[in-house]
Amino acid sequence: MTNILETCGVTKQFGGLTAVNDVNFNVRQGSITSLIGPNGAGKTTFFNMITGLYVPTAGTITFAGQSLVGLKPHDVTAAGIGRTFQNIRLFANMTAVENVMVGMHTRMRAGVLGILANVAGVRREEAASRQKAHELLDYVGLDAQRADDVSKNLPYGDQRRLEIARALATDPQLLLLDEPTAGMNPQETAELTQLIRRIRDERGITILLIEHDMKLVMDISEAITVLDRGTKIAEGLPSDIRSNEQVIEAYLGRGAAAMAQKQAQQGGA
Amino acid sequence: MATLRPRAIRTMPWRLLGQIAVAIFCLLFLAIPFVEMVKSMIADPQLLARQLLIGVTNGAYIALIALGYTLVYGIVELINFAHGDLYMLGAFFSLSLIGTFSLTTETPWVVRAPILIVVLIATMGFTAGLNMLVDRWAYRRLRGVGSRMASLISAIGISFVFQNLGLLWGYLRFPFMHGVMGSNAVAPKSFPALLPSVNLFAGTGVRFGAKDLIVVGVSVVLLIGLYLFVSKTRLGKAMRATAQDRDAAALMGIDVNRTISLAFVLGGALAGASGMLVGLYNGTAVFDMGFTAGLRSFTAAVLGGIGNIVGAMLGGLLIGIISALSDQYISTKWTNAVVFGILVIILVFRPTGLLGDDTVQKA
Amino acid sequence: MNTRIRSSLIGGVFGFAIALISGGFAGILAGLVAGLINGFSVPQAEPLNNRAGAVRQGLVASLIASVLTILGIVIRSVLIDPVIGTPLNIASLLISMIGALILGIPVCVIMCVIRTEPPARERIGLAIVIGIVLVTYPWLDQFLNLRFMNEVIPVLVFILMALGLNIVVGYAGLLDLGYAAFFAIGAYAAGMVSSPHFGISLSFWLAIWVAAAVAALFGVILGSPTLPLRGDYLAIVTLGFGEIVPIAIKNLDKVTIHIWNYPLLVNFDITGGTKGINPINRPWLPVIGEFSPSAPTPWYFLILGIMLISIFFISRLRNSRLGRAWTALREDELAAGAMGINTVNVKLLAFAIGATVSGLAGAFYGSYISAIFPESFRFDVSVMLLCMVILGGLGNMSGVILGGIIIQFADRLFLPQFSTVVQKLIVASGNVSLREVNFASDFRLLLFGLTLVLMMILRPQGLVPSGRAARVMPTADAEVSHD
Repeated sequence: MTNILETCGVTKQFGGLTAVNDVNFNVRQGSITSLIGPNGAGKTTFFNMITGLYVPTAGTITFAGQSLVGLKPHDVTAAGIGRTFQNIRLFANMTAVENVMVGMHTRMRAGVLGILANVAGVRREEAASRQKAHELLDYVGLDAQRADDVSKNLPYGDQRRLEIARALATDPQLLLLDEPTAGMNPQETAELTQLIRRIRDERGITILLIEHDMKLVMDISEAITVLDRGTKIAEGLPSDIRSNEQVIEAYLGRGAAAMAQKQAQQGGA
Repeated sequence: MATLRPRAIRTMPWRLLGQIAVAIFCLLFLAIPFVEMVKSMIADPQLLARQLLIGVTNGAYIALIALGYTLVYGIVELINFAHGDLYMLGAFFSLSLIGTFSLTTETPWVVRAPILIVVLIATMGFTAGLNMLVDRWAYRRLRGVGSRMASLISAIGISFVFQNLGLLWGYLRFPFMHGVMGSNAVAPKSFPALLPSVNLFAGTGVRFGAKDLIVVGVSVVLLIGLYLFVSKTRLGKAMRATAQDRDAAALMGIDVNRTISLAFVLGGALAGASGMLVGLYNGTAVFDMGFTAGLRSFTAAVLGGIGNIVGAMLGGLLIGIISALSDQYISTKWTNAVVFGILVIILVFRPTGLLGDDTVQKA
Repeated sequence: MNTRIRSSLIGGVFGFAIALISGGFAGILAGLVAGLINGFSVPQAEPLNNRAGAVRQGLVASLIASVLTILGIVIRSVLIDPVIGTPLNIASLLISMIGALILGIPVCVIMCVIRTEPPARERIGLAIVIGIVLVTYPWLDQFLNLRFMNEVIPVLVFILMALGLNIVVGYAGLLDLGYAAFFAIGAYAAGMVSSPHFGISLSFWLAIWVAAAVAALFGVILGSPTLPLRGDYLAIVTLGFGEIVPIAIKNLDKVTIHIWNYPLLVNFDITGGTKGINPINRPWLPVIGEFSPSAPTPWYFLILGIMLISIFFISRLRNSRLGRAWTALREDELAAGAMGINTVNVKLLAFAIGATVSGLAGAFYGSYISAIFPESFRFDVSVMLLCMVILGGLGNMSGVILGGIIIQFADRLFLPQFSTVVQKLIVASGNVSLREVNFASDFRLLLFGLTLVLMMILRPQGLVPSGRAARVMPTADAEVSHD
């Protein structure tokens, strides 16, 4: 299978601080890939470099054959990468439908003059995008009656879903989800896991996930990459990662890793 | 969808286009006059020296006001729009006190000097207190809400309120003020010529009067005092800590609101001192003088790197000199436009200013 | 019950103030205005469900308003007029009182009834009522001998500008403090191509498009370097632009440009300097002929037409892909970028379209007063427009119109009339010390300043919050991105 996203030697420095250091990282097309690591490992910085919010200090990022380095966020979105945010960033005073329709901005063509003259094409596009927005809301499981609610009045779980719908509206080939289940209860998490799978299976959208919920990560991912203090310390299948010493160490500290090893040996003996 | 659909990416580098546009504009319209200007500067070095000295005096008072912008912006990221008008109120307040003490050019120096110092301190106290009250009343409650535009609009409103107060101040004709406010409320008010006007460089063709020296001297003393306060004292350190990271400072036990008040108090005091010095130096004060002064000082603060105390002093000096040169070699009519042009150019090309650091952008 | 009475008082206070300040038959107009305002505010405060209730409600509200208005009329004619030298005229007092009742009560009741209709019909109904009032106003003015027309036309010009500014500040969330400059640019552009100044004498109908285009062009020129800047820096840069434009206009009357030693221009007068451009062509229409300065009615309908067309097109933009992009930008610039919105492009469009509206207003104004001077577009005009937008409610056109009416009413009618009345009272009372206080010009800045501060502190979403914000509890963060 081809890689939809390839990064090579990506590094980001803020002043003297190196947030991401020489990371080589690939996402296979059609996979669900997770990026994990302890707090401050540089995961969100990495996301922000892919989506054009930060320009890498060094390295290349290639998406579907074209370089993303130096592109503005909106260009990256136009190229086919959608994203959600760790701390929900909806357009608080717009309705759910409007939020989703904003996501379709790059896929719409209406220009100023067309809008002013209200030509047939613009009207059709507007109606079609509204229709599609409702479909997307339905797809992520948002109550149809909530569609015209102002987004800041939605319950927390719905806001997370809405953010995914909005990202889907940009018609992405790669969807970046930054801690989509943060703050959710187990039931909501399970539903969201289902949704993520469906997005991949039914829409063929590749998914790259930052997540803290290990159960979810192990459950859903086909490949996992672990960052610690800006460097990649491991990558592979969930089963590999689970037993990787360096990963356990990064999460739980050196002693814990040794203890885990000892326990494993004792168990084996 | 199994196949990749590479999408064409069109980018418009607006920032770069804008910079190019400004650069072309500068080359086309400013390069030739600039060369002419430099020629005429070289032709008459005496005149140039005189303008430079005027620039230094201007720079001193601009730096005092600029510090108020920088201190407040450094901590709360608010362009305190009303700051220039606070300076104007300082001038009016000091003039009223001068009238009350009936200081005139006849007053002997033994009496005059101590009273002037008292007036200076009282003026600084007045503007400091006023600035603090305004912060409490108009800005503080907007701070937590998270929208920077609301505070800025509020500051613009306060600026207009101050201007109107200055206008109404002209109607204050209490007998004890000995008529310093004149008979027309709106007209410029005149200060008695209380500072000695001896030329220290008499006979050289260059003018640098004793009053220039006093203005520069007092400003420098205040600037050094402020610098020492901020860098050495506990309160000053608390201020810097709050400017760096307000939440962390609060966690360390710093009373953030009090620290912010302190920034307003210090900035206000300096603006008041500046108002009085300029009033005495130029001999006039008018209710809308705050706008131009505020513009120049804000430009100075941005030029030096907003939030940076030494930068504001340096910026003040530079803007003072630039406006003095512009007055002479371009035309006083265009000086405001020149200063604004500089502001635009800095913001477009180097928003962090001369001394500002650009390592981490606050998100 | 409490909110009902309180909302009825809004119109009443207006009626009272108008009647008190402007004497004569203005009391009748005051009654009409009070009724109109209550027709808006009462159903807003408490939704009405059935017709009978609405009629009752409207009657109560308009009675409260009328009583207050009549109180104003009575105080004015009985207590103030005799002191300032107009003898009490019982007949005209009675006519005013009855007129106020006759006009105020039905308007208010009808509007309350309309508000119970389903939304589509409600909108048409309100439009008809407002349309009737607007269309008949010139004759009402003439009939009541009010002579407000020469004030009403500039008021409409400023409201048009406020609507343009609302695109920039209210929709896209860009604080523009130099908006009045585009007005100047539009006025000068129109003036230059339709006056003897350059010998180009286009018709008004062409010049107004030139003005719009030139203003839009300047919007783009100013915007492209500055719009990537942060919000507060943008505010200052636009303020700077707003200052540079009048300076440039004032001083570009003797332009000499040498390119090396070849003189390109010698003492060329671009802008007319301090004396401005004068006279500017007036519009000409069949039937009406050339618009005349002494007959304001055609001007009134012209600006009203420009305004209605602008509102129509602005609301189209508002509900389009572009309008959503503006709102998204205002709410969260970073997220808007991540959703594929080219933030700079979209900001630039807002800027240019706002400038276009202002340019139209400028072209009209220049033609209306047949002259244009550099000093009329300073910072205080920009801030006054900002006041109008903020008072009514950022991002909401009907709010902006209401805000515009209030600020303009206060600035042009209330303060000067109030000042005249107070001066006459002062003179009559024999107190000399206050005689020189001019209550119109000496409190103007305070009016703008306090409006801005109080609105920000007490009601940042404005008197009429925008539809999007109105559906929820009023909050303070309705207007800007929290980056």
